[in-house]
Amino acid sequence: MPEPRRHQLDNGVSLVQIELPQAPVVCLDLWCRAGSAWETSAESGLAHFLEHMVFKGSEHLDAGEFDLKVEALGGNSNAATGFDDVHYHVLIPPAAAPQAMELLLDLVLQPRLDDDDFAMERQVVLEELAQSEDQPEEVAFQELLRQACGDHAYGLPILGRREALEAHTTDAMAAFHRRHYRADRCCLSVAGPLAGLDLERHLRESPLAALAPSDHNSAVPVLQLQPGKQRIELARLEAARLLMAWQLPGAADQDSVMGGDLITTLLAEGRRSRLVEQLRERLRLVESIDLDLNVLESGCLVLLEAVCEPEQLDAVEQQVRQVLLELIDTSPSEAELDRAKRLVGNGYRFSLEVAGSVAAMVGNSQLWGRRHNLQRPLEWLEGWSTERLSQEVIPLLHPDRAYCLQAVPA
Amino acid sequence: MSGAQAQQLLLPGGCPLWLIDRPGAGILSAKLWMRGGSSCDRSGQRGAAQLLAGVLSRGCGDLSGDALADLVEGCGAGLRCEAAEDGTLLSLKCASSDAQALLPLLLLMVQRPWLVEDQINLERQLNLQTLQRQREDPFQLAHDQLRGLLYGDGPYGHDALGVEADLRTLNRSQLQELVGAYGQAGAVLVLAGELPPQAQTLLLAGLAGEAWPCAAPQRQAGPKGLKQSQLACSQDDTEQLVLMLGASTTALGAPHALALRLLHCHLGVGMSSRLFVALREEHGLAYDVGVHYPARLGDAPFVFHLSTSSDRAADATRELLAEWQRLLDQAITAEDLELALAKFRGQEALGRQTSSQLADRHALVLGHGLPFDFADRSLHEAAELSSDQLLQAARELLTAPSLSLCGPASALQQAEAVWQRHSLSG
Repeated sequence: MPEPRRHQLDNGVSLVQIELPQAPVVCLDLWCRAGSAWETSAESGLAHFLEHMVFKGSEHLDAGEFDLKVEALGGNSNAATGFDDVHYHVLIPPAAAPQAMELLLDLVLQPRLDDDDFAMERQVVLEELAQSEDQPEEVAFQELLRQACGDHAYGLPILGRREALEAHTTDAMAAFHRRHYRADRCCLSVAGPLAGLDLERHLRESPLAALAPSDHNSAVPVLQLQPGKQRIELARLEAARLLMAWQLPGAADQDSVMGGDLITTLLAEGRRSRLVEQLRERLRLVESIDLDLNVLESGCLVLLEAVCEPEQLDAVEQQVRQVLLELIDTSPSEAELDRAKRLVGNGYRFSLEVAGSVAAMVGNSQLWGRRHNLQRPLEWLEGWSTERLSQEVIPLLHPDRAYCLQAVPA
Repeated sequence: MSGAQAQQLLLPGGCPLWLIDRPGAGILSAKLWMRGGSSCDRSGQRGAAQLLAGVLSRGCGDLSGDALADLVEGCGAGLRCEAAEDGTLLSLKCASSDAQALLPLLLLMVQRPWLVEDQINLERQLNLQTLQRQREDPFQLAHDQLRGLLYGDGPYGHDALGVEADLRTLNRSQLQELVGAYGQAGAVLVLAGELPPQAQTLLLAGLAGEAWPCAAPQRQAGPKGLKQSQLACSQDDTEQLVLMLGASTTALGAPHALALRLLHCHLGVGMSSRLFVALREEHGLAYDVGVHYPARLGDAPFVFHLSTSSDRAADATRELLAEWQRLLDQAITAEDLELALAKFRGQEALGRQTSSQLADRHALVLGHGLPFDFADRSLHEAAELSSDQLLQAARELLTAPSLSLCGPASALQQAEAVWQRHSLSG
């Protein structure tokens, strides 16, 4: 596997590059510790709104000019705002990568934040919010997080509260940008055929090299998920949902993240996983049952979703509980662990085929000070035994440690 | 396709086998495409192709459903069997080192499926529940409604999952009959990635020498669409109004199809696309706006879609109709044509990143009876197209769009009033 090449600019910003000679495109991925968890209460939705505004131009680029240039070069770009961080990425043919990098850094680090653009883009963000509120499943998940995470940022919507969005100003947004888009909070990750591009040289005169470090350190509090139980009625829901949330250690402990990946796979990926086999295949109580590991800095979240008829909800909850208690009682078999390892390992190897996902993986790790290479996750994977899973991870998924939300059609 | 080494073989019985060698990553992707998807569902059996596809992996040859799942999941592999409008696709993705264990499954599933009654019932129940759950999504509702406007009761007139009443009555012997027909309308198998030695032998390993009688997919006319302007409204208690404006057009590889693909790139690909800029950037009318134009054997849908707040329903409808009208009134500029071409090339390059993508694209093209290098040829041909040819394609295929609306009553009224006054409503 290709080794990440790391380089640090004088102001502390890091660049990480991965050579993928066969890839048809280069992915440039700029990461910043500026997700919604860094907002004050009044700033609700600002991290994501800013991500939209970035594409409205900079000192040197008109609104839409960046997209036009990148797309005319045969590339494309996008961005995503999470709880912890935000990233902006461009896929571009290799020869155009230096130019795309220059445009990207200008765009993200020196946004114009024009008042008229701001008012227009607010409408777009409000439409995005309305669109998500018309999906009852998304409403149910938001409610689960709100109940389970309490006042923690992970319980608040990334899109923001409507009233807050309506009150935001460009000044407040500029202040958020100044506070968080700093040298010690950003990194650039690049993956693809990089031979001869000499991106390090191009970076030296870029706005990335001119970023100042933060004035003071700040941190997001550790998540403390509150177990509990609630039942809600939702309009427009057709099938009932059982949603559950558990907390696992944060992303800093990547070995433990791998353990979480293994146990969620063992429990709910494929027909022979415990939950799918018991609830969908044998008892036929659910249309689907999923268990996802959301890797987050202040505490990972394991989220379960079962889709079923409303009258089956209690039986479904009872069965989920029973499957988990059995697993706590008796260690998984070697065959089960082996199956999970193969699924997780292959999933990881498959993801390395695409420049975009490689850039995202190494970029996210770099941003949070994790400097392992691409081989390391596979070694962590092999380090898990059934005993270790039973001691370190499985007890964390005790049903009594979960927040459990039943959503039924109104 | 450029850069990839390809070899064509023929399996005993007649199924073409294409091998695309991409050594290095240790990953193998296999796609078996068989013509005859949901558009071939018979009257009263809508949903049969998908139901059968779902049951294929629930037991075949000597393997029970559990044993098959144990084998596939035990290798950490992905196996999917799905019916789309024009074909049924079996997809396998695995580590190349597991090819020996897994490749034999593909032909075994289509030739010796168990079709256990109990498993058919389970799969049926899951499909019925999925159909019900899909109604939560206003986009799905608008989409289903538009499908009715564009295809009526025709072969493309229903969701591949089927129609509740039909799905409830499907039985094992009907599925058995469909298994017998697999491959007869054409099939093709594409393997891409790090190929095992003797791939052909492995594919046949489960069949004890028996050949699978089948033909290479031939070029043929696919299902037709309706060509008249219609309106359909569905009232729903949502915040937004979903609008879908579309027409049934033409087949992949047909005259004008490439011109429409460039119009698709111009209108709907990327943040510099016409609809994105006009409706989102200039008017802030929507978050999600775009064009849906899938590859089809018959008259493919060409659809503008967006969702907007109810109180802006009239504006959004007006703007969306104006954009459609624009396609018919004026040719796009030389710069826009060049940009559309760059996007078309860019999409092609991005669609060739993984072994799965390569196998998938070739299986689709070959399944439509088109040549292996169709995508490369299209890239060359697209460069020759003029804006006038794009305009001509629009005037031939996009003159009578239909509008599907889903949202609250007041928004429906506003949108409908705008539609009725517009010349496109016929």
